[in-house]
Amino acid sequence: MDWALLSQLVLNGLIVGALYGVVGMSFVLIYKASQVVNFAQGEFLLVGAWVCWWLLTTWQLPFWAGFLVTLAFMTVFGMVLQVVVLRPLIGEPVISVIMATVGLSIFFQALMKWMFGVFAQPFPPVFTAERVHVLGLEVQSVYLLSLVISAFIMLGFWWFFTYSKHGLAMRATAFDQQVAQSLGVSVPRVFAMSWAISAVVSTVAGVVVGVVNGVSSGLSFYGIKVFPAVILGGLDSVVGAVLGGLIVGVLENLAQYVDAAWLNWGNMYQIAPFYALILILLVKPYGLFGTKAIERV
Amino acid sequence: MTATTPAGDFRTSYRADTTIFPTFGSRLMLWFGLALACCAPLVFGRYELGLLITIGFSAIAALGLNILVGFTGQISIGHAAFFGFGAFASALLAEHHVPVPLAIWGAGLMTALIGLVFGAPAARLKGLYLAIATLAAQFILEDFFARARWFSGGVAGRVTEPYELLGFRFDREETYFYVVLAHVVVMFVAAANLLRTRDGRALVAVRDHYLSAEIMGINLAYYRTLSFGIASFYAGVGGALYAHYLLFVSVEAFNILYSIQFLAMVIIGGLGSVMGSLMGAAFMVVLPEAVQALADLFAGGAIDRALRLGASISFLREMVIGAAIILFLIFEPDGLAHRWKMVKAYWKLYPYSH
Amino acid sequence: MRFRTALIAGALLAATPALAQQRIPVGHLMDNSGATSDVGVPYGQGVQDALAWVNATRGGVAGRQLAVSGFDYGYQAPRAVAQYQSWAQRERVVAIQGWGTADTEALVRFVTRDRIPYISASYSAALTDAGGKSGRQGVEAAPFNFFYGPSYSDALRAMLQWAAQDWRARGQQGRPRYVHMGANHPYPNSPKEAGEALARELGFEVLPAIQFALTPGDYTAQCLTLKNQGANYAYLGNTAGSNISVLRACQTVGVSVQFLGNVWGMDENAMKAAGQAANGVVFPVRTGAVWGQDAPGMSNVRQISRVSDQAGSAYRPVHYLSGICAAMLMVEAMETAAENNGQITGERIRDGFYARRNWVPRGFEGVCNPSNFTAEDHRGTMRVALYRAVVNGNTAQGGVDELVRAGTMRLEPITTIELDRRRDWLGW
Repeated sequence: MDWALLSQLVLNGLIVGALYGVVGMSFVLIYKASQVVNFAQGEFLLVGAWVCWWLLTTWQLPFWAGFLVTLAFMTVFGMVLQVVVLRPLIGEPVISVIMATVGLSIFFQALMKWMFGVFAQPFPPVFTAERVHVLGLEVQSVYLLSLVISAFIMLGFWWFFTYSKHGLAMRATAFDQQVAQSLGVSVPRVFAMSWAISAVVSTVAGVVVGVVNGVSSGLSFYGIKVFPAVILGGLDSVVGAVLGGLIVGVLENLAQYVDAAWLNWGNMYQIAPFYALILILLVKPYGLFGTKAIERV
Repeated sequence: MTATTPAGDFRTSYRADTTIFPTFGSRLMLWFGLALACCAPLVFGRYELGLLITIGFSAIAALGLNILVGFTGQISIGHAAFFGFGAFASALLAEHHVPVPLAIWGAGLMTALIGLVFGAPAARLKGLYLAIATLAAQFILEDFFARARWFSGGVAGRVTEPYELLGFRFDREETYFYVVLAHVVVMFVAAANLLRTRDGRALVAVRDHYLSAEIMGINLAYYRTLSFGIASFYAGVGGALYAHYLLFVSVEAFNILYSIQFLAMVIIGGLGSVMGSLMGAAFMVVLPEAVQALADLFAGGAIDRALRLGASISFLREMVIGAAIILFLIFEPDGLAHRWKMVKAYWKLYPYSH
Repeated sequence: MRFRTALIAGALLAATPALAQQRIPVGHLMDNSGATSDVGVPYGQGVQDALAWVNATRGGVAGRQLAVSGFDYGYQAPRAVAQYQSWAQRERVVAIQGWGTADTEALVRFVTRDRIPYISASYSAALTDAGGKSGRQGVEAAPFNFFYGPSYSDALRAMLQWAAQDWRARGQQGRPRYVHMGANHPYPNSPKEAGEALARELGFEVLPAIQFALTPGDYTAQCLTLKNQGANYAYLGNTAGSNISVLRACQTVGVSVQFLGNVWGMDENAMKAAGQAANGVVFPVRTGAVWGQDAPGMSNVRQISRVSDQAGSAYRPVHYLSGICAAMLMVEAMETAAENNGQITGERIRDGFYARRNWVPRGFEGVCNPSNFTAEDHRGTMRVALYRAVVNGNTAQGGVDELVRAGTMRLEPITTIELDRRRDWLGW
């Protein structure tokens, strides 16, 4: 048992898992508030990353300024998207709305390629020290930044949903739309707000991935990775999504360890989360932390 | 669902009530349509026939997905993997000297078995959990295709035999069209028949209100799994037809984007409608070609120069396809079948169509 | 009778000028907007510009202009198949410049049936077995498929031979360790077995292959495994997008291994995107020279470049030059077919490929490597030029042309390996 390698892999899994958790949080937010499965989540990352890159290279803004402007833009972007595309589909069967988000993802993939070209682009250097030594593993500084930001986001969410008026309105809408509406909550406004927040949170993940790997159209595949994370953690809680993300991150890395040490199949990193997903769903149909839906006849 | 029947059309037997084509007129249109389809190779060239063949096997697979999604109320984002399984299975059977006409049905059965294997755990899941489980099935099967050399030919892909019946080879577009047409007719009639049997009604009951269905004695797990099996059978037959058209199967073609295309066919065509599957498949196959034709019209023209589009035409093409899907869903969420019904009703009830 | 013959002869004579003006229909599939567009754009541009240049400066082929019908199929095979049907039926193309694995594989049986030469940018070794006699499992005869350059397997073999030399030249003792890295997918897997077999033959210790997906992601785990296993040479089999992720992750983790790239996995654009993580990667180049180097044929290449870049300031990546060579091979095969007033048909173009030995398209000496095609062996060239990517600065600002001019990025030629044309290497 190579403990040093194992501990490095687990640490890496936690760090990258936090990133999956961030994307998972934004996905679950939309799902909880408006019951929409957002297949265009990966494109939120992509658009955010490209806009930030553009601000940093063409307009030469410092990273903090560019990042904040990007967040502001994505807030508006999320809201506009919800109003223009999703609002007319309220009340339609869930699968039609899923298809609409698929159409959005096709649209935005092509738009980003058209606007920013087909070649991968590197981010300008953000930190003076690109790498940081953490507990025996060299980690990109931007990952630590993402850890800090996701902690802030979780704290912010906790405060928002527990204490603020708008957050309570969102929770009420997620629980029962009709009752919330009868109590005076503006459901369309809640939907728009949930999409805006989700877009902003996804942008954080997109920018982090962009800094590490460069911005390219393949970035949107992180939107597919979010599904196992979200299912493992259960769809009911935002915290569950983060836990799911961490689990997927660690699982991938552990699978790689097992594969390299004993199995030599080669593909465990990719496929282990999906096997685990099916196995867990066999035992617990609502995910690890999801609350079982009690159906009343 | 019964079609609109004219007043004064009385049924005197239960058997007459469950007929698929209720009026003489609709039956006539069926034969007329089939005759028109049979004449297609005389009029159209390879390009159009190739599109029709693609529509044909896509429609069969889309019909399977419609049975699963539209009639049983489940969801599957892994349909392309089953389609690919059918393609590889048929190629494998053909390589073991099973005559191709039989290999296609054999491939359908093998895919149905795999569908049952994945459907069994899926019977317990609902909603998004089921969707993600099928997504996992898609990736697992894709990985299996890439690894299992004995099955999929691994890297080099697998070459298949053309369709051969009674010594006659159907390897040109003009002749293979008839093969696909025959299979489409058989599968569509089978699906329409399925829905007027006891099992078909059980599937619809499971979709509409599964708790009531369970209380009435319908075994939910059995019917949900059966629905997966039937959908996979259709996907397998569609995949086999695809394999014997291209004569080459490679794992590259059966990815998540293809699964999403099948979902689009079903949703745009109309959930829960047999004819809708055909219309949706036609829409999704013809849309890129139509947009490309439109782009060719503009290329080099005044608009192209004014907006300096040039090479960006291809991006615009993708964007138009995405926008077309979204706009279609916004303005006609019940699909093409519903719109077709509305058009028919307008003419039937004219001038009292309001 | 004689009057009839004279009438027919007269009609033919009258028609000949009309025939001479008749354009030669050629199909061109490209990917400018799909999954492989980052390498598809420069290659497609090279083919397009070369064919336009042939029309403009050489008057086409045998006095007939080429009617090139270009189609961007977005790397979706069904669209390529539909477009092929349209070409075969309406334009009746006599040859097709293809692109990647998706379209080449989907069309391989069609072009064999319809007898249309298909010059692809997919260099899969399975396509080289034109006679179907190699006996490899799953490899069927593809007598109408050609490509310019070494196959993926041969390119890897050349790099392994260089690696063996490099190991000894560095004074290292013992057996070097080789590992194949790539996705579990036809494209990266194409040369895997061939590479591992030759590595064993050359005395490498072959480690179990490491997989990473074709999409960008976090591949720290794979890099840690690489480091742990003490690999010395690692082949990156994927396309540029995910190779960049691996290079950066391995740079972060601190892996010191010699990376061997593949033809589509490393180029000037990838070097810019990966930055200093790409420094030192060795990869094969299909042409005898890269943009900016001197060779007798480079003047024509620069002329071709001006077709789409009047100012002459654009930097052309390695794929652009390869596209030119692929197009010129097709053009010269057509010229062979048209000799002695021959008809330009698909079959005669195919035979035109077999007509010359050590074939370098005229005017492109030093740029296009010599090719030899025979009816059984479509391995055009066994010569592989190896280059090293050198990046010694930050690549975030400025375009590729500016970075190359400033010297931040450059391609350093290492050596040219000439492989033996071994019979047992045919088809895999």
